[in-house]
Amino acid sequence: MKKLVYLFICCMPITLMAQSIDRTKAPAPGKAPLIQVGNPVKYTLANGLQIFVVKNTKLPTVVASLVINLDGVKEGDKAGVADMAGQLLKRGTTSMSKEVLDEAVEYLGGSLNTSSLSATVSSLKYNFPKLFELMSAVILHPSLANSELEKVRVQTLSGIESNKDDADAISNNVMSKLVYGPNHPFGEIATTKTVNAVKIEDVKNYINSYWKPNMAYLVFVGDIEPAEAKALAEKNLGVWKKGITIPQNFPKPVKPTSTYVAIVDRPASVQSVVAIASTVDLVKGAPNDISANVMNNILGGSFSGRLFNNLREAHGFTYGAYSSLTPNRQIGIFSAEASVRNEKTDSSIQEMLYEINVIRNNKVGDTELNRMKNYLSGGFARSLESPATIANFALNIAKYNLPADYYQKYLTKLAAVNADNVQAAAKDLLFPNQMHIVIVGNAKQIAKGLEKYGPVKYFDIEGNEVAAPTEAKADANLTSAVLIEKITNAMGGGDALSKIKDVQLIGKVNIMGQSLDMTQKLLIPGNAIQTMSMGGMVISKQAVVNGKYEMSQQGQQAPITDEIKEGLDESTHLVPEQTYISKGYKFTIVGAEKVDGKDAVDVELITPSGKKSHRYYDATTYLLVKTMKSQEVPGRAAVVQQEFFKNYQTIEGVAFAKETTIDLGQFKMNINYNEIKVNQGLKLEDLK
Amino acid sequence: MRKKCIFSLVGLFALNILSAQSQAIQFEKYTLPNGLKVILHEDHSAPVVAVTALYHVGSKNEDTARTGFAHFFEHLLFEGSDNIKRGEFDKYIANAGGVNNANTSQDRTFYYELFPSNQVDLGLWLESERMMHAKIEQVGVNTQREVVKEEKRQRMDNRPYGSFLTEVLKRAFNVHPYRWAPIGSIDHLNAATLEEFVQFYKTYYVPNNCVLSIAGDINKAELKQKIASYFGPIAKSATPIIRPTIKEPALGGEVRDTIYDNIQLSGVFQAYRAPKQGGSEYYAFNILSTILSGGESSRMTKTLVDTKQQAAFAGSQPFFNEDEGLFITIALANAGVKPDSLELSIDSVVNDLKNNLVGEREFQKVKNQITTGLVSSKATMAGIAESLADNEVYFGDANLINTELDKYNKVTREDILKVAQKYLNKDNRVVLYYLPKPTTAK
Repeated sequence: MKKLVYLFICCMPITLMAQSIDRTKAPAPGKAPLIQVGNPVKYTLANGLQIFVVKNTKLPTVVASLVINLDGVKEGDKAGVADMAGQLLKRGTTSMSKEVLDEAVEYLGGSLNTSSLSATVSSLKYNFPKLFELMSAVILHPSLANSELEKVRVQTLSGIESNKDDADAISNNVMSKLVYGPNHPFGEIATTKTVNAVKIEDVKNYINSYWKPNMAYLVFVGDIEPAEAKALAEKNLGVWKKGITIPQNFPKPVKPTSTYVAIVDRPASVQSVVAIASTVDLVKGAPNDISANVMNNILGGSFSGRLFNNLREAHGFTYGAYSSLTPNRQIGIFSAEASVRNEKTDSSIQEMLYEINVIRNNKVGDTELNRMKNYLSGGFARSLESPATIANFALNIAKYNLPADYYQKYLTKLAAVNADNVQAAAKDLLFPNQMHIVIVGNAKQIAKGLEKYGPVKYFDIEGNEVAAPTEAKADANLTSAVLIEKITNAMGGGDALSKIKDVQLIGKVNIMGQSLDMTQKLLIPGNAIQTMSMGGMVISKQAVVNGKYEMSQQGQQAPITDEIKEGLDESTHLVPEQTYISKGYKFTIVGAEKVDGKDAVDVELITPSGKKSHRYYDATTYLLVKTMKSQEVPGRAAVVQQEFFKNYQTIEGVAFAKETTIDLGQFKMNINYNEIKVNQGLKLEDLK
Repeated sequence: MRKKCIFSLVGLFALNILSAQSQAIQFEKYTLPNGLKVILHEDHSAPVVAVTALYHVGSKNEDTARTGFAHFFEHLLFEGSDNIKRGEFDKYIANAGGVNNANTSQDRTFYYELFPSNQVDLGLWLESERMMHAKIEQVGVNTQREVVKEEKRQRMDNRPYGSFLTEVLKRAFNVHPYRWAPIGSIDHLNAATLEEFVQFYKTYYVPNNCVLSIAGDINKAELKQKIASYFGPIAKSATPIIRPTIKEPALGGEVRDTIYDNIQLSGVFQAYRAPKQGGSEYYAFNILSTILSGGESSRMTKTLVDTKQQAAFAGSQPFFNEDEGLFITIALANAGVKPDSLELSIDSVVNDLKNNLVGEREFQKVKNQITTGLVSSKATMAGIAESLADNEVYFGDANLINTELDKYNKVTREDILKVAQKYLNKDNRVVLYYLPKPTTAK
């Protein structure tokens, strides 16, 4: 290892002559530093691979990135294949398993990462040639093994699954699809179906089609001589065969002719995710791109943006509100976004549109403009601390055909931006009458009044248009007592129910990709037990047997509260509704709601201990189809727990739901009972 | 931090582990007559400067009935000064194209600003105003108390496993002030009088308890004059600075407990009592931690996450401070995996370190990883300024930034075995299970 040499100047305490200063005011800045934006050394290999080298000896480290010169590819019914292929690249080569490769990289103290359109390796300079060889092996000879694809698929699917409940992810997906259209790569959404359709051949096909030296840039940054970098590239990637580049021509997305509202109904939402978005005619390097950036930062770029100050500071609708404006190769995108309280959805849209109009119709004042320009130029100067910034600049110049001195002139151009330029950028780019207003939220609570912004349309979480949710209806003359009678009859009627002495439900629980065993046993009257287990080990258990209450998770006993007792007591009845009145529950019909597209009667239930929940009964069959309760979490929006009951089956004249889904927002649990047995002569000792 | 978390584990440790090797970091160090230590590192490779002030006060300096003071001051000292109006501190920085933040540990409080280099004077002015005559007023105290309450809710109460450090500390230490976390007690903050806050300020936020560390595109000769002008007139404090001398006895038996939290995956947290930072055992422990969890090929990741697929995440973290240390392992169980079976697997990975010498190749791998980490930690001026200040305050040796790698290189495979055998024992640890809060099914 390199011998260390250090210089260490330690002075004794010294006294310096103090100059007189005026500390009542902030000192003026010194002379603006000369910002030097260097240029990389460039090479092109015979196979078309373009190489940039930014030599920087500040640290004895080197980073190399291979970047495919594409913004994205059309994946169609295999959407997701590009990301999966990117992850698969570093999961082994034809001569090294994943485990061997991981160890080899880390033995050299390095790191190696791959994605759909890039590969990056970094390490200390003296190990760099070996690491570069490993990255090259990954690029030239990835194993692309089926077994690794399956692991990546499981991870991808669980990601999609958790995104289904994530309002922000839904908003992003739907907004992209609506703004770019389904025929544009940026408008495609990976779904369970498309990810399951991906075969190893598709992954290979993706890599073979797009990973070509003549479509790629290779960027070196760090302590490496340009000639040495070139030689390394030549040695390892010189053999990489040139290929035919596949032109990526996508239809240019068009703006909607007029503003409309796109609602994705999410009944569990306590906040609306609002995004006001459209394409903008702004490509990287356009003459107005710097004034456009200043404009966007004034509107909503940060804590000091107008959206933040209006929606959060002045109105308190949200924790944060921002806008973004991103130029790209073909077309850019603008969006203004905020997560707002349900009841402030309409007002928030109004304020966001108001700010868009203000920045179009009025000139920005000098103080605000100068502060933003200082902020942006300071950020530019600070970004130069990282040598990778220079490499990114060079890459942008090449990818987007920017003028060679684009970044050298950036600060001069920024300094020249005036209030007219900012207003012009707003007028040229933002069209409040041609926006997609995408809202993910509780339609029933928020949709009213939104027609004033334009036609209101509804979409599912994959961005497909769906019918507006219809108003649910229920029999207005229904009373609680009559409803309970109807429920009892729906479940089989008093006679049939009274003949059931014991019940056993045996099934499987699916929770985040894992399968568990679920067993419920009832011994009427008054005894019930429910256990969840995996491989014979009990994970959770709740029971009331012989008047003794028990509730445990993973062997840990929970304290038994009145609320838990009520829940356990309820579970001993086939039709707990029969007992509500005698036990002092409040069972009140409060309205109607759609459950899985069907009308249902909405009942509010308050237990004697004061716990409130809702129960929904099908308006035709009167079977229980859903329950909903919210779990208070201090200081945070309540967690809504919904439970759905499906696929009722009659056994010995009594109805049992064979399928239950518990939906906690962030995660879901499906229970399927494949075995339902009644009157098998269960005894108390069987309830363990 | 005021805007982010106050003591993310990673943040704290980045300070300790990472710094060393490659081209030496040249610096100049001197002390003003008022006791302020100044460290200057001149580097013209980019037009940026980091202005930082490290005060040697953390939660361990607090009165047992006034916990949370040091962290509270991290907030309070942004409220303004005789010459800076309330709420203007951040504005000056943003208007100059800078960014800033602060953080508090059990041992020290760190303020920093990053500027384009022509704004270095502004940094001197802001930091000297803060040190000379910060506004300690009821209105600011009231405002920041609300902010800190929100921070506690957001960072600890509402964050899955967010309470784990607090829960670990109160079981791992019985007498040393390390038994509470920097966030402290809201009740203590509510009970404190303005006079107490003023007294705390006058005791700890004084030149003789601070290191001013500046790195970047500076002109040292010029800057030294200005530092003298801005900081020289601040009076040295005569109030004695209280540093705990209390020695924490051995844990004397395993402590186990269960915490119910709003989480979906169970967690197993083990915290072993460990030596204080800086000694040879400390370096051995950092290597040991990298063996367990540094990267895809590390033992915990490979065994628990890949091979056995018991954990969604597994890692380890040395938590070494000025007076005492902890070595923490963290594993989050995959759905359906019981925490006790996960714990058995963690124990078997950990016990292997006590029973077998680490293989030569693996040992070399980990040293290579550490070397890369030490070198890369010197990529930013902010990192260098912080590292210099930390080393000076904790070890009286700012130059450790240049020699730390030697300390790692002295560690042998036998040393790893020795620290594992000495410290990674059941009677020397706290084990916490984090379990999902039970909900009634129907």
